[in-house]
Amino acid sequence: MIKKKIAMLGAFAVGKTSLVQQYVHSIFSDKYQTTIGVKIDQKQITVADQDITLMLWDLYGDDDFMKMKPTYLIGASGYILVADGTRSETIEVAMQLQEMAAATTNNAPFLLIINKSDLSETWEIAPETILRMQQKGWIVLLTSAKKNLMVEEAFQKLASLMLNPY
Amino acid sequence: MEKETHQNIESIIEAGKMNELRKLLVGLNHEELERLQKLLNDPHEFSNEISSLLPYAIRKMVERGEISVDSLLPFVEESMHKSIQKNPQKLADILFPVMGPAIRKAVSEDLKRMIASINASLESGFSFRSLKWRLQAFTSRRSYAEIVMANSYLYHISNVFLIHKDSGILLHEASAPESKALEADLIASMLTAIRDFVQDSFSNAEKGTLDEIQFGSLKIQIEQGPYAVLAVVAEGQPPADYRVTLMETIEAIHFNLGLELEKFDGDTEYFKLADKFLQQCLIKQKKEKKQKAPYQLIFLLLLLIAGVGYFVLINYENKANFKRFITELEATPGYHISSSRMSFNKIYLKGLVDPLAEPVEEIMKRFQKIEPGTLQASFEGYLSTEPEILQRRAGLLLSPPEGVEMKIENNRLIISGTAAADWEQNLELKIAAIAGITGFDISGLNKKITDLQWIIPSIERHRFLFDINVVKLDSLQQIQFDSLVKAAVFLDAYNQLYSRNMAIYVRSYTNRNGNVAANERVATARAEGFITLLENAGVKKALLKSQVLFAEDLRETVSLRTVHFSVFDNKPISR
Repeated sequence: MIKKKIAMLGAFAVGKTSLVQQYVHSIFSDKYQTTIGVKIDQKQITVADQDITLMLWDLYGDDDFMKMKPTYLIGASGYILVADGTRSETIEVAMQLQEMAAATTNNAPFLLIINKSDLSETWEIAPETILRMQQKGWIVLLTSAKKNLMVEEAFQKLASLMLNPY
Repeated sequence: MEKETHQNIESIIEAGKMNELRKLLVGLNHEELERLQKLLNDPHEFSNEISSLLPYAIRKMVERGEISVDSLLPFVEESMHKSIQKNPQKLADILFPVMGPAIRKAVSEDLKRMIASINASLESGFSFRSLKWRLQAFTSRRSYAEIVMANSYLYHISNVFLIHKDSGILLHEASAPESKALEADLIASMLTAIRDFVQDSFSNAEKGTLDEIQFGSLKIQIEQGPYAVLAVVAEGQPPADYRVTLMETIEAIHFNLGLELEKFDGDTEYFKLADKFLQQCLIKQKKEKKQKAPYQLIFLLLLLIAGVGYFVLINYENKANFKRFITELEATPGYHISSSRMSFNKIYLKGLVDPLAEPVEEIMKRFQKIEPGTLQASFEGYLSTEPEILQRRAGLLLSPPEGVEMKIENNRLIISGTAAADWEQNLELKIAAIAGITGFDISGLNKKITDLQWIIPSIERHRFLFDINVVKLDSLQQIQFDSLVKAAVFLDAYNQLYSRNMAIYVRSYTNRNGNVAANERVATARAEGFITLLENAGVKKALLKSQVLFAEDLRETVSLRTVHFSVFDNKPISR
């Protein structure tokens, strides 16, 4: 059995919890996230005929009241950066978090998810910004937790990256 | 010559020097070097030499950790496997002295466990305590088994988790059979998160680790290793040295799976090997109880023994009673038992019984333990010749009057006492009719003369018919005559006993046809002739008187040649 720890990182209220809510097996209450800064869920997926158990560490969004604890990233085999497409500043937060995560996880594979793709009217992220990040070698996916767009694929993608990093 | 000798001496000195030089350089002399060379060239010698060192060397390597016992295991196991395949008997022979005691111990342990478990079931089956526990289980929404465990054990370890230290991923877990399944993966990760949270939050404090989390009676003990963490869920307070067990366990896991832990990339398959280490952490201790004897079991056994004892006793008593009854029956006159048996408290009898024997129901009444309905008898009738039955039969047929005694001796009936003479009439004939009596003796029987009621009829009933002018008895008449004589003797005895003067008319008959005087003369001669016969038989003359009657004077018709008798007092009575 393969088990991997992955972390969900991102600014406050970018929709991390919404992203995982319907896809995971959870026994803990959301309040843990605000008390100890992390909530752990479990997700079972299959990549290339290989069953993988993903232990999702949903880390508290970075904000003025509470800083994300880097300790929670230790031992992660991969991570998902989450930004909000309707708030361009969340991309900046994601980039800062990535620097810190890369150092802590020893350059583990990661994805950038720009969530809320269903809200096209208030969309703030310019295509150039996305292109720039892709040119840095980042994998960027646009998702909608609300409309269930690309969420499952995001987890699959990260899992296959973790299994075959090169 | 001298020069040659000198050279030789020099070469010897040279050789000695060389030897000395070699010894200084190598530390070995020539002989020792030669021995080493021989050792290296001869594989047999070489293997002999190192064979004594090899076991010591292996032990040293194990001690230094260069090889582990586990890495030697496959070789040992394979050798044993092959040995068994080749000749199973050999290993069986080797193990024989060990297996006997081991099996005995296992059996006795199992038996002890079984007794303890029966006793525990009896104890907690429907007790107040078990009801309390069920209520506790219901209100706390935990399983009954968990509540029993919590209450029965001083402590018990329900789950052991081996967790990867950095990622918090559960590598392996072991749980006690009676504990409920937990979301082990999530719990392991959350424990790691909590540990990280604590360490992060209190980083100013002294450098330390989270060793224990307590929640009510539940306790989570955590033992840290360089790459993995051992977390155990304990109910109650484990012993102080349990911490040492945890340390030793995490050390053993690191020792054996250190490389896999260091290079862990998410594959937990290897860590199944850690199972045996985790299992030894699953300990528990029952609450100290006073060494109580297994009263319930003893009580049950006693009850059983009492039941069996009662049954055996009753059975024995019934059998003894049955035997006594059969003995009594066989001893009872008039019974002949051919077969008897007892089955399920019923008595089955076969045999013969005399109609005069005491009824079997009466005999049964003497045995209180034998109920009337329990007898199934199949008797056939017969005539017993036992003295008691013969006496009863004689009594029934002869109805002896008071004053008469009867007894049986060698199947002969002995009658004694005094009886009225009429009872004695035809007594011999009656006795001869009794089955089983072969003879009799009535010499001891005295006749009792009371009145004339029987003497007169026994005289007057006689009739004798003769030819003309002949008074002579034939053989048949002789028997009647004897009976008459006997009765006449009784009359004489009566006269003497009671001072009476009873007499007998010997009557002869004629009619008035023709010469009446001649007729009368013939009739008188017949009567006189009969009196002479009686006198000759011993009857006193004074008792007898002849009388001639004319047929014309009589109301009844009589034969003229007959002789009749009539008893009268003092004077003849005309009829």
